[in-house]
Parts: sequence; C-alpha cells; structure tokens
Amino acid sequence: MSVKETQKRFIKAMKKKFAGQEPTSTTTVYKYEGYTQNKRKVEFKKAGDAIAKKRGISAYNPMVHIGGIPLGQRQLTPYVVSGTDVVCEGDDLHFVNNAAMQQFWDEIRRTVIVGLDVAHATLEKRLGKTVTPETISNYLAVLNHAMPGAAVVQEHMCETNPGLVDDCYVKVFTGDDELADSIDKQYVLDINKAFPKDQAAQLKKAVGKSLWQAVHIPTTVVRTCDGGTTSRWSAMQIGMSFIDAYKMCAGEAAVADLAFAAKHAALVEMADILPARRARGPNEPGGLSFGFLADIVQTNRKYPDDPCKSSLEVVASGCMLYDQIWLGSYMSGGVGFTQYATAAYTDDILDDFTYYGYDYAKGKYKIPTKPTMDIVNDLGTEVTLYGIEQYEKYPTTLEDHFGGSQRATVLAAASGVTCALATGNSNAGLSGWYMSMYLHKEAWGRLGFFGFDLQDQCGATNVFSCRSDEGAIDELRGPNYPNYAMNVGHQGGYAGIAGAAHYGRGDAWTASPLLKICFADKNLAFDFTEPRKEFARGAIREFMPAGERTLVIPAK
Amino acid sequence: MAYKPQFYPGKTSVAQNRKKFMDPSYKLEKLRSLSDDDVVIMLGHRAPGSAYKSSHPPLKEGGEPDDPIRKLVEPTPGASAGDRIRYCQFTDSMFYAPAVPYVRSWMAATRYRGVDPGTLSGRQIIEGRERDIEKITKELMESEVFDCARSGLRGCTVHGHSLRLNENGMMFDMLQRVVLDKNGNVYAVKDQVGDPLDRKVNLGKPMSDADLKKRTTIYFIGGVPARSDAEMVGWVQRIHNERTKCGFAPKL
Repeated sequence: MSVKETQKRFIKAMKKKFAGQEPTSTTTVYKYEGYTQNKRKVEFKKAGDAIAKKRGISAYNPMVHIGGIPLGQRQLTPYVVSGTDVVCEGDDLHFVNNAAMQQFWDEIRRTVIVGLDVAHATLEKRLGKTVTPETISNYLAVLNHAMPGAAVVQEHMCETNPGLVDDCYVKVFTGDDELADSIDKQYVLDINKAFPKDQAAQLKKAVGKSLWQAVHIPTTVVRTCDGGTTSRWSAMQIGMSFIDAYKMCAGEAAVADLAFAAKHAALVEMADILPARRARGPNEPGGLSFGFLADIVQTNRKYPDDPCKSSLEVVASGCMLYDQIWLGSYMSGGVGFTQYATAAYTDDILDDFTYYGYDYAKGKYKIPTKPTMDIVNDLGTEVTLYGIEQYEKYPTTLEDHFGGSQRATVLAAASGVTCALATGNSNAGLSGWYMSMYLHKEAWGRLGFFGFDLQDQCGATNVFSCRSDEGAIDELRGPNYPNYAMNVGHQGGYAGIAGAAHYGRGDAWTASPLLKICFADKNLAFDFTEPRKEFARGAIREFMPAGERTLVIPAK
Repeated sequence: MAYKPQFYPGKTSVAQNRKKFMDPSYKLEKLRSLSDDDVVIMLGHRAPGSAYKSSHPPLKEGGEPDDPIRKLVEPTPGASAGDRIRYCQFTDSMFYAPAVPYVRSWMAATRYRGVDPGTLSGRQIIEGRERDIEKITKELMESEVFDCARSGLRGCTVHGHSLRLNENGMMFDMLQRVVLDKNGNVYAVKDQVGDPLDRKVNLGKPMSDADLKKRTTIYFIGGVPARSDAEMVGWVQRIHNERTKCGFAPKL
C-alpha cells in the first residue's frame, strides 16, 4: 500500500482558520485569552448582560465556568463551510442561530405527497364526473387558494394572512409528458427541465402515468404544530378544493373517499411515526429514512458527474438534521451536538478524504465493482489510513477535529461513501464504515465516546442481514434503527452512504422517485441542490427563511 | 492445553508496549515517587488524613448471606471497608503520550480488580472504591505509563488530547493544572477538577521525545505509523470479516 498525495483540500481552510500558522506545526503559543478573542462570543456576552439587566435574572455569562476561568482558553477558530468560501463562527452553525438550517427542516416537515389517481377514479367512476387537464388546472387554482388556510365552499370563515403563508403551494408531477404538458405550467414540476436527460427518463418511467401532488403547507403551521399536522392540514384543504372544483355536495359520502385518499390511501409522508418510547408523529426527523433524505437532497441532478459532492451534501444535511436537530434537540439537549456535526461539513476535511477514496477506487478497480469483503476491506483500510495520516501530518486538522467522535465520523464516512460509490451497494458502504471504526480504534487506541463502543463495534454483525429483526438495507434504515437511535455523529454518514451507492452508478434516485421529484422545485425557500451553501448563507445571515411573523407583531 | 494470553498482535514497538502494559506479569517501570498524600490531594476526593467516606458498613459487619460466589471472590480493601465509589481520570496527548485510552482500560481490566473503566477519545476513567482508586492512581502516576507533560490527571474540562502542544512541549490544559518551571520540573498546582492545591506536587521532568516514542502506545506517523504494522492491520481486517460474516450465521 502506498500513500498517494492528493489535493489536500483542507489546506486552504486550515490557513484561514489558523491564520499565519503553519498547518504542519505540532506546537503553538496558547494565549489563554478566553471569550474576548471571538467577536461572536463578545456579542453574546453583551446580549447576555443586556438581558440580565432588563429582566433582572442573570443570563449568558461565560465567566461562571470553574474557578471563574472562562472557556475559550485555547484559540477559538472560525470555520470554512466545506465546498464554499464562506468563513463563519462555530456558533453560527448552531441551528438556533442559523435560519437556513431551520428552513431545511421546515421544508421537509411541511411536505407531503398525495396521489391524485385514487381521487380521480372516485370522481369518474363513482360520481360520473369528467376529469380533464382543464379541470385539474382549475382544481389546482382552487387548492393553491385554499392550502395556505383560505376558505372555499364555507361562508364567513376566518382565513390566514397570505403574507404570512406565502411559502405554501401545491404543484403536480407525472411521468406522462403529454399530461404534464396539458396542465397549467405554473402548477407542474417539469421533470424534463429539472433533471439531466437520463435521470428524467428513469424518473418518468418509475412514476408512469400516475399524477401526484407535491404539497407544502405553511412553515408557520408546522412550527406551531408538528409534522403530524401536515397530512391533516393538506387533506382538509384538498377535500374542500375537490368539493369546490368538481361542484360536489359538501356532505355526500364520496367526500369520505376523497378524504381517505388524501389522508391515507394516496399519501406519502416524509417520515414514519415513532414508537411510544420516542413518541413523535409522522413527518418528524426520527422517522425520516436515510434513503428518503438522500432523495430530498438534490445535488445529484445539478452535479450528475460529481458523485462525491452529491454524497457530501447528503452527509452534511444528515449531520445537521439528525445530529443537530433530532438527537441534539428533540432527543437531548446542550451544545455538543453541533460541534460533532460540523466536523463533517466544515474545513473540507471530509471532502479531501472522500475524493481521495474515490480516486483510489477508480485507480484500482473498474467501478462499479463487486461488493466483496476483500474490496471493502481494501477501500476501508486505505481511506482510513490515509485519513489518519493527514490528521497526523497536519496537526491543525487534528486540533480542528478535537474530539475522537468527530474524527471517527469523518474517517468512517469517507470510507463508507468510498465503498458505496465504488460498489453501488449501500450495505457494502456500511461495511466500509465499520472497517474504518475498527482500524481507527486500534491505530490511535481511542475512538469516540462510549456510544462508539456500542454500535460501531457490533454494527458489522448486521450489515449484510436484511431480515426485519436483524437489519435492513441502508436506504430503509433511519435514525430510529435500533443500533442507531442514540448515537450522534453517525446518521448523516449513513444517509450519505445510501445516496453514494446510487450516485456512483448513475441512478436518478435512492429510495423514492416521488421524493426526488417533489424537492426538485425552485420555489422552495431552501435550495436543496446546495445544502452546504445554504447553511453557509444562514451562517452569515444572508438566508431569508419563510414563515416570519413580521406582519403581525410590533415593529422593533 | 493451558491458554496463554497474547494480549496484542504485531511486532512493532507500539504493539510490544501495548502487550507489556496489558500483561499483569510485566512490572511497570517506576519513574517517580509520589507520597500517598500527594496522590490524595491531586485526586481531590478527600483531605489527607481524613477518614474514608463510606456507602455501606464494612462487609464483615453487614451480615452477608451465605453465598459460594462471596467465598470465591475476595473483596478489594475498599469494598471490604464499604468505601464510596470515586474515580481517577487521565487525558493522554496524541503526541506520543505513553498511554492511550484503550490501553488504559485494557490495563485496568487485566491488572486491577473491582474497577469500572470507561474509554473515550480524550479521557479514560477508572471508577472503584476510594482507597483502591488511590492505590491504582499512585501506581499509574509513578510508572512509565505516565509522562508529566503529555499525560494529565483531569476530572473535567479535559480538552487537549489532540491539540497542538504548547511551545514548551506541554499538552494544552485550559485549567493549567500542571506547570513547567524554569528548572524543567513539572508541578501539579490544581487537583483533578481545577481547585488550587495548598502545596504543589513535583511530578519530575518530562520524558525526552526519544523516550516518548520508545514507550508510546499510539501508532503515529512520526513514530510507528499504523500502516507499517501489517500484522495489526491484518488482524483488524480478520476481525471485521468474521464479525460481518458470522454475525447472524453462527454456523460459519
């Protein structure tokens, strides 16, 4: 095994991060400056003081740490968001401080996909109504009035202010070009325009002649309620719109069929409900499968020739959603989760390891290659050894990823994504992940926190098992998969691996063509083709979210 | 055939050091002497000379039921006395500290009784009865598995294991629990959780770089790179293969 020199994508970030310091140096001068060295922390301190004065209850105060020695005695460094030139403070990547991250999740939580075929069959066969492209367009006009929270059919209703719910709308898509062409363009997700030709052909074939609605209810609604609201809100407005558009009797029994279709039979939610011990409704992050997340992220249609970038964008999205929001907030609390997660999408370290792995695989095998243990071991070993050697050669990267969990995530994600890209098999990717964890642990005699002793030591035993109580293909695993349910720093990697298996072989989608098309939509507030760029815009306060309440609150 | 533990694969110095440290028949080399009170104040659990706090009466007074396991397993002195559970926790720099967290835990498992080791990337904790912990801490801190510049007794805010070293070769510690004086000696000036000591404790001089690289248990590129130990890498791959193939197929 020989070590190839690659682009060292992280060098630029290290030079920005540790300004004026040599990335290969093993020593530095610690100034023990505390929070005052960091403009964001200073801003926080000032805000904390003002809050304490105003309300008479103490607030943010970094001086309360042990013995009055404030945290920040080491150099507090900024971060470069990977794949961008944006430099920000770590605090700017906490989801509370980042409107783009919030909107990323809001977009998913407020979305359901609802088939129209069942409803149209009900209208035509049961009621003898005529359904044409013209009636569909008319229905969609009614629906785009009603979905944000406006009335049809019913007199004297209380409606929502359109200015508060302008992010809410419904579009449709189908694999039938002729049908798509005959529906009013403003309502159509045009597969031919959104996707490269070969991906469009795959998607249209998968969807066929069926017609689907991509429903995005108002952000402000899911923020006030929860993800379980989305299908209910959507179904009510769909039902009312059918009554209006097809001039039905409001109380006739067929309405129940339309409601059942919208709420159950033709409904595709983004995420499953969770069991009682985690107790969340549908469309909450714990039920969002890795395969679905890989489909929601749209990078592979914008950069079809760069499967590494596509995978990295999914890893970043997963780390943000699953680590920072799901585990870090729904399931736990505190400040550690952001620090774990950012390692996978800042400073171009994971990018370097992943591109190295992909180049190594392409240089050694004709890819996609067979998913054998020998190949998985070779790729997992090489990428892990390469990665740890970069940390060792460039101690600033080691200081950047100052916790073992961060490094374990990055090394294993690079190994797993490499194996998935090279084999087109997501479970081979998972196997590469575990190979990396074992080798990392032995090389440095340390891994992550206690959790890494659990799932990363026993995970290999179920990596090639698909029986329901033993395992599943990675695309169908999710944050609530038994071994994965408690451990930060993993789930984004698993999602990236699921996507990588398909990007590597040119598939248009990972688990669902419906989700892939649904999020291929330029009208969404968040651009899912470039999640990291959007997170970066959120960090530097350039991202405009939806669902703001400015219209109905006092001006500051 | 009697089982003879091999402890670790590989013929590199790192592999050999891991074997030695884990092997309870190997006597750890003593590099410094600390008094019992030195250890007690650095641990910070009790004042020197004060009685041990207990969580239950001495076992002999407890009216223990007759039980064959109790006859087989002799309680440690701390368990016998009913001591409360306390801890020692170490941070080891990745820049060639003698110990790494897993080696510490494996050592705890092979060398000590009545302990509960916990392993993380930046720290390794051993929990046990208070007087047992004091004895273990003393042995570890006096021995070759502890370097006063690259190893640290840290109960909280352990940050530093993967950070660049200070210019003087010391591992970063935001609480500055130890200081290097102008004569080249390292002194402990705070306890595990950062409370100042009434008197400083002399931990002696740091190991030289050559000595660190000779004693270290971390594979690292300036010493013994992981890539160079083919036997270790091969064993890891074999374990990975067997866990993967045999996980739900025990016949294999």
